[in-house]
Amino acid sequence: MIKISEDSLKTLLAPAALVILYLFFGIFGRNFFSYPTLVNIIDAAYYIGFISVGVTFVIITGGIDLSVGTVMMAAAIIGGTAYKTWGWSIGLSLILIIVVGIAFGFFNGIMVSRVGMPPFIVTLGTMMITMGVGSIVSNVQSATFPTRAVADGWYKNFFKLINDDGSTIPTGAILLIAIVIISHILLNKTKMGRYIYAIGSNKEAARLSGVNVQRWEMMAYVIAGAYAGIGGISYAAIYTTVLPAAGQGFELYAIAGAVIGGTSLAGGVGTVFGTLIGVLIMSVLSVGLPAMDLQSHYQTFFTGIVVIGAVLLDMYRNKRASEVRLVTPADQYREEQLANIERLREDVAAAKSAGDSGKAASLEGKIRETRRTLKKTYARMRAEEKAEEARRKAQERASDREFQEMLRHHDQGDQ
Amino acid sequence: MAVEQVLSVKQIDKRFTGVHALKSVDFELEMGEIHALVGENGAGKSTLMKILTGIHRRDSGEIHYLGRLFNPRDPKHALELGIGIVHQELNMMDHLTVAENIFIARESMQKNGFFLDKRTQNRRAEELFKKLNMNIDPTETLGNLTVGRQQMVEIAKAVSHDLRVLILDEPTAALTDAEIDELFTIMRDLRSRGVAMIHISHRLDEIHQITDRTSVMRDGEMIGTRNTAEITKQDIINMMVGRVIYEEPKSVSAVAADSEVVLRVKNLNAGRLVKDVNFDLHRGEILGFAGLIGAGRTETARAIFGADEIQSGTIEVNGKLVHFTSPRDAVAHGIGYLSEDRKRYGLALGLSVKDNVVLATYEDFEAGPFVNDQKIASRTDEYVDRLNIKTPTIEQLVRNLSGGNQQKVVLAKWLIRNSDILIFDEPTRGIDVGAKSEIYTLMNELAAQGKAIIMISSELPEVLRMSDRIIVMCEGRITGELDISEASQERIMEYATMRLQETLVRS
Repeated sequence: MIKISEDSLKTLLAPAALVILYLFFGIFGRNFFSYPTLVNIIDAAYYIGFISVGVTFVIITGGIDLSVGTVMMAAAIIGGTAYKTWGWSIGLSLILIIVVGIAFGFFNGIMVSRVGMPPFIVTLGTMMITMGVGSIVSNVQSATFPTRAVADGWYKNFFKLINDDGSTIPTGAILLIAIVIISHILLNKTKMGRYIYAIGSNKEAARLSGVNVQRWEMMAYVIAGAYAGIGGISYAAIYTTVLPAAGQGFELYAIAGAVIGGTSLAGGVGTVFGTLIGVLIMSVLSVGLPAMDLQSHYQTFFTGIVVIGAVLLDMYRNKRASEVRLVTPADQYREEQLANIERLREDVAAAKSAGDSGKAASLEGKIRETRRTLKKTYARMRAEEKAEEARRKAQERASDREFQEMLRHHDQGDQ
Repeated sequence: MAVEQVLSVKQIDKRFTGVHALKSVDFELEMGEIHALVGENGAGKSTLMKILTGIHRRDSGEIHYLGRLFNPRDPKHALELGIGIVHQELNMMDHLTVAENIFIARESMQKNGFFLDKRTQNRRAEELFKKLNMNIDPTETLGNLTVGRQQMVEIAKAVSHDLRVLILDEPTAALTDAEIDELFTIMRDLRSRGVAMIHISHRLDEIHQITDRTSVMRDGEMIGTRNTAEITKQDIINMMVGRVIYEEPKSVSAVAADSEVVLRVKNLNAGRLVKDVNFDLHRGEILGFAGLIGAGRTETARAIFGADEIQSGTIEVNGKLVHFTSPRDAVAHGIGYLSEDRKRYGLALGLSVKDNVVLATYEDFEAGPFVNDQKIASRTDEYVDRLNIKTPTIEQLVRNLSGGNQQKVVLAKWLIRNSDILIFDEPTRGIDVGAKSEIYTLMNELAAQGKAIIMISSELPEVLRMSDRIIVMCEGRITGELDISEASQERIMEYATMRLQETLVRS
């Protein structure tokens, strides 16, 4: 029997689901096992991937960021306007995109950690503000970034490198993975990361330990904002034209990605690798479903099912892990006898190494004997305990009925 | 004269992880009596009540109610059968009206069965109040009432279920004297209607005012039941603390007379439960803080530690005046606080032993931008060894450790931080006997090394065993200070139950 520990099960489940999904579509879909399809899947993962990793930081602190999607789009539009209308260089415009993302993250962070507003409300407000800001800055026009054809289009190579022979390399995937690795290091190897987990696990205990809760909680939102900026650049690189109205609903995919990847909305639990897997699962769905002749809106439907399924599974596992099992006398007896056998085994080993084969043999006999008695006695004790339990339950049910009867009479007497 | 037993509890046993909360407890409640249930914190009163009302299930033993075997499934079930409880903390909705609170989940409906019938509901509430001689407006929003009035509403709510047994868990803790009188009038009235009441209280003078019989619990055991009229307050105290002292108390202070003052608190006021607190803490001293629940000891500790706001007063650490605006400042000045509620305030349960142990000291383990995991691991290993923390690995989640080992993890956190002043708030609550004595040994070692320790404890044997000096609090004030050589359980109890008027009369 293969035993998988709860922990490794948790880390393996999401990747396993991803592989299974991929194989499923490969077998039942059309032309799924191909390099272009793989590139498609990865392409579909970029911008959601960046903001999903960012929002993972926030969710680990026990908060939520509903504004990542619209911040991403607002940042992209502002950057595009800077390039097209204000005549900024493309390099400066891209930096502006990240700065705008950070600024909104900073705002969210201040409102949550210093002012003490609920994250849901603050980021809901920011979501609406950023929706508006994009339109206001661009004057309700779309922002157009330079295309590949012009010299300023170099930034597109960050996300997709097109070779002279027309073949493509998904450099965006490399960038996304780099961001995931950097985030993993931030979360696990720096003070900030460890505090982010501590705050999510027990904010008050962290505060009472002298942790600067306000600063580190704010930093999670700042990081989410910065990643929304990077997401904005990737969006601009992929689509060239950014519309003010776009970006709504992206935050939900971002949160879904984190949740599918095992990040707990209660805080304190989560990994960015999990989030990456979660995002990839969603992009496999978005590419795979059309390959099975199901239209793209099925993607939303199935993503919803995956989210709920993932959380249900998580709750079930947590419940199992926290269940307290009563140790009955039978269990106790079993434990003792098993310990006994273990001791005898050691004696056997000792006797064997001492060359006393006669003693070893007699001890082995004793082990067999103990094991037989254990099996019989344990079975008998368990049966007795079960019978006793059943008897008690029956008695309880009987007296319950009596009480019901009594109450009914009582009620009738009242009227 | 055959008195009818409403409730009879036989040999109830209950264990929680690491704690034997109830040991074969017997208890009987007669029709129409007010029965006081007293005992120190952790004696098992609440657990017993929780079993009677279906919040916990017993491990073994039987409950008989009205002569029948009784198995409360949950509080609702118990309430339906006529057993209700008014908890110390009010469980009501501030934003609803009084009547809505009383009839929550059994609202009066109009004939169509769809709309609420507020008028009928308010009338029913009015009738109820009239019956109970309470003068409360059913249409008032609950949050606008004083705490005392809110409690009356909660009692009325319980009584509206046609109760035979009403459990009152420290109903007077938050009430003014006038409100207490009002409450007692209501209780006497209910008694005359045949309702049996269990009255849990720490205020011993009340017991003679209102109760017919008194049962005393200690360490999960029922010590005895007496007619209240036949016993004195002193008898009750003796039953509560017990004649047998399991631990040898300290007889002389281990602190040198010229040991310097490391913490000086002057005229400290904070919130409702810290009033004009003054004391000094010396190097190498274990200063015991005794008193009952709600005496303001935890609040004092939190105020000193910067966790709660201070209204007035000064704090000096090592002779220097300090102003802590957050626990971070206190930690920076070498103060560590081990909360009474480890799970809520002390530990990140979902994180590993290692992560918890270094939570207050990550700065010390930074090498450039990164934390040095190897150094953290080796330091954690060192303290796991030194404090004998029983954990398979330092990666184990703290959630999976026993109470005693969790406490040691919190202690390790402050020792790694090299805190000089340690505040232990109920250091052995929920910890089994073996781990208890280990914690005691550690505390003595720390004091011998020159650390100054404040130990808040509600267990008198613990206070007497550990402290060099004892401060007793009651209702936010220090009511007494005893050198260990002059301290006894009885003297502490006397101070701990000394309410304001008595304090004034005495001094």
